[in-house]
Amino acid sequence: MFKFADDPLRFSRSSISSRGNKTGSWRYLKPVFVKRTAPCSAACPAGADIPAIAHLTSHGRYKEALDTILRENPFAATCGHVCFHPCEHACNRSQLDDPLAINAIERHVGNWAIREKYQPVEKSPPNGRRVAVIGSGPSGLAAAYFLSRLGYGCDIYESEKEPGGLLRWGIPAYRLPLDVLTFEIDRIRKRGINILCDQKISESFLNTAAKQYQAVFVGCGHGRPVQMQIPGEDLALDGLAFLKDVRKGHPSPLKGVSAVIGGGNSAIDISRSLVRMGSAPIVLYRRRIQDMPAYDPEIKLAQQEGVRIKELTLPLAIERHSDSLLVRLQKMRVDDRKTDHGRSRVTPIVGKQETLQVARVFRAIGAVPEASWQQPGIGSESVLELSHCTFTADGLPIVHGGDLVNQTLSVSDAIASGKQAAMAIDIYFHKGWASIEAELAACRVAQGPALSMETYCDPEKSSRRHPQIVDFKDINTAYFPTSERIALDLDHPVDRRISFSDYRPDTSSGALSQEAARCFNCGMCNACDNCRLFCPETAVCEGEARSIDMDYCKGCGICVEECPRSAMVLEEEGHETGS
Amino acid sequence: MRQVLEGSHAVSEAVRLARVQVISAYPITPQTHIVEAISEHCASGKLPAKFLCVESEHSAMAAVIGAASGGVRTFTATSGQGLAYMHELLHWASGARLPIVMAEVNRALAPGWNIWVDQTDSLSQRDTGWIQLYCEDSQEVFDTTLMAYGIAEQVNLPVMVILDAFFLSHTYEPVDIPEQERVDRFLPPIKPKFMLDTNEPYALGQMVAPGEYMEMRHDIQQAMDKVPERLERIEQAFEGAFGRRYGTVEAVSCDDADIVLVVSGTVSSTCRQVLADLRSQGERVGMLKIKMLRPFPADAICHTLGHVEKCAVVDRNCSFGAGGIFAQEVRSALCNLQDRPLVFSYIAGLGGRDITGDTLMDIYGKTRDTDRPPKQSEWIGMTS
Repeated sequence: MFKFADDPLRFSRSSISSRGNKTGSWRYLKPVFVKRTAPCSAACPAGADIPAIAHLTSHGRYKEALDTILRENPFAATCGHVCFHPCEHACNRSQLDDPLAINAIERHVGNWAIREKYQPVEKSPPNGRRVAVIGSGPSGLAAAYFLSRLGYGCDIYESEKEPGGLLRWGIPAYRLPLDVLTFEIDRIRKRGINILCDQKISESFLNTAAKQYQAVFVGCGHGRPVQMQIPGEDLALDGLAFLKDVRKGHPSPLKGVSAVIGGGNSAIDISRSLVRMGSAPIVLYRRRIQDMPAYDPEIKLAQQEGVRIKELTLPLAIERHSDSLLVRLQKMRVDDRKTDHGRSRVTPIVGKQETLQVARVFRAIGAVPEASWQQPGIGSESVLELSHCTFTADGLPIVHGGDLVNQTLSVSDAIASGKQAAMAIDIYFHKGWASIEAELAACRVAQGPALSMETYCDPEKSSRRHPQIVDFKDINTAYFPTSERIALDLDHPVDRRISFSDYRPDTSSGALSQEAARCFNCGMCNACDNCRLFCPETAVCEGEARSIDMDYCKGCGICVEECPRSAMVLEEEGHETGS
Repeated sequence: MRQVLEGSHAVSEAVRLARVQVISAYPITPQTHIVEAISEHCASGKLPAKFLCVESEHSAMAAVIGAASGGVRTFTATSGQGLAYMHELLHWASGARLPIVMAEVNRALAPGWNIWVDQTDSLSQRDTGWIQLYCEDSQEVFDTTLMAYGIAEQVNLPVMVILDAFFLSHTYEPVDIPEQERVDRFLPPIKPKFMLDTNEPYALGQMVAPGEYMEMRHDIQQAMDKVPERLERIEQAFEGAFGRRYGTVEAVSCDDADIVLVVSGTVSSTCRQVLADLRSQGERVGMLKIKMLRPFPADAICHTLGHVEKCAVVDRNCSFGAGGIFAQEVRSALCNLQDRPLVFSYIAGLGGRDITGDTLMDIYGKTRDTDRPPKQSEWIGMTS
């Protein structure tokens, strides 16, 4: 008890600081900072650390954001342009208001690097092994990128005069401008990877490859178009060849109506290119629009631009009719039954046929491998089928990847394939064939299939390993007022119809930062400091990363309760889960 | 300079001129205008203070307790339910001997939900160790707020400056607002007798054993006992600076009175008019306005009422099961006097009902015409 003045003023006071009272001794539970997996990250085929990318972008830290993307994916701007962002469908924020515009954020960060000419190259020490990569499409480039990071020397063999594969020849310029692609291919080339163009590879290459290489990655894609098997088929033009021609030369005007047969992304790309060349395309598809394998946003953009889609229409024959072509069409109806793939079965409506007069017909119903060696063997003991590639170890290890083996034919799945192949090859050389599956499983982002290169390179330090995906109910939504998703600027459909340039003007950095700040940052500490502000013992410490002073943490759990983003857990003292 | 001000803003102006350093409050009708104006002063830089927005009155009081422990001049304001919610921390503020000043706008307690005047809220807190000063008009509110800092910082006890809801808080009156320099001369910066010090850290309010607790409590009682004398000195200084004084009680025409009306708050003004009317009719009536309820000015009350035949205490409050609270206090002050008046207890004006001149005339008439006070408080103006 202290007497503070001459007046009657006695009052209790300690003789030392209250820091002398180490409240940590009361604790039987302890809070732990964890990094859990965000649902977007788990949904991304490339396993991008999206919450971290969004957090860095929201603070204008583009360089670090780009570096974070590059840890798992060499194609930041490319994916920002062409990825169909399964991440956004998984975004927890969509259960509050609207999903984060992750694709736009990635595009913005990728474009920033191009504008600033930011091209980080950290070369890894060579391990003396060399890998031949066949095909310079997204899977081949990704495989070489990740292999070179693991110390492998890579030669990429490309049959065309320029690298890029489907990125260059299959995706029109309005979706993926050439400067974006060349900048990102340069990023890979600058790692010391040789891209040998105009090199058509045949089966005999595999017989002699062992002289120069310790492994081969086959990622040449599908070179042979699927036939429709209908009379007059040879009157139809090949859609992929058309897209290639358009990208090779200056597209010349095309008059009249063009029929495009198919329902995939290529059919939409062809149609939208035709619009830009002055033709009026009609997509002929035998099922309904909602059954089309093409991605919904692309279908909508195509329709805005004037592409007509005739659904439930099966071409029966193509006939020449003076200067034009006649396509005989069978009207179809939806059956109650489902196909093996779960789609509604369609059957012809008897007697309901019509003809369509067009200037030309394009066929875009898919493609298959050009040669048998491009397909992996199946069922043999020396063949290991993985989610995104097939590893054959009968002599020289050969890994087939990309569209040749992928279930989903997308750019990001091709990147996932290249990454998986690189990791599998490295595991093969270091730990042996038998370890490949288990070692890959240890690098999964949550339950996979996406793999993390960060985890593979440094499993101890990796922040990407938490098996649990943050659920919406784990988010403390009291801290997230609803906010509008960024309205992305698109050129007017009328303007889009005359131009092959990108129809998405770059968004302002301010608006983008604001959008990135909408991210819940599921499962990662973004230093919001709620824990620090709420801690009754002021035991949460600032620093590079937040930490807890265990001398004073009494284990009340308030910090865990108030963490907005599920980046903390309460563990029983002495029962560490190791997270 | 004379300004026409709302009662609430008379408080805000006093807080500004007192150079308060930390304000924390939670809005509640009819108090809100007070802190609203202060927050504007803080935002505009007119008052370079920290305004802490909190989520409750409990936290507001906790925040000013923290700030006052750091040795700065603090302010908060509340009303009715908000004051009730602060209860635990009111004890802490006085027990910790912190010179906090709070404006408390008397508001009826719910249920029935009622935002109008009633003294039961502040009188429920009479045992918390706070000095309580009830004000009659806006000028008195302004002056009392400035003097409250003087007395609080001298005796290290918190002060409630109390004003009637709406009749005072929301009524515009001319108020003399002095220049900053004059206020500064009257009220120099706080000189805390103790404060938390980060260079020599220690904790305040630690555990105290039975062998010492009673001494601490005795000190609070002794500090309270010193208030009348200290306040008298402060009032002298205030009168010297600004020409006004109030006293802990104010007796009007009591010297030759047979009956004295005992009132508080804004009813005092109404009573002054009633007194003039009755005096002009030849009635020997006086008025005693009680300004300070804690510490209770028993000596001044005995001095004024000792020779009187009857007194009529008007209570805008009720301690259920016991009656008007001012009447109880007056009775207990008088009970050991040899000659003492009969104490009539009236309850009127609860929940914002007006206490008019007629109400007071009625009370005066009943007191004059009744020989002995009834055992219980009489409720005035009941409709059924």
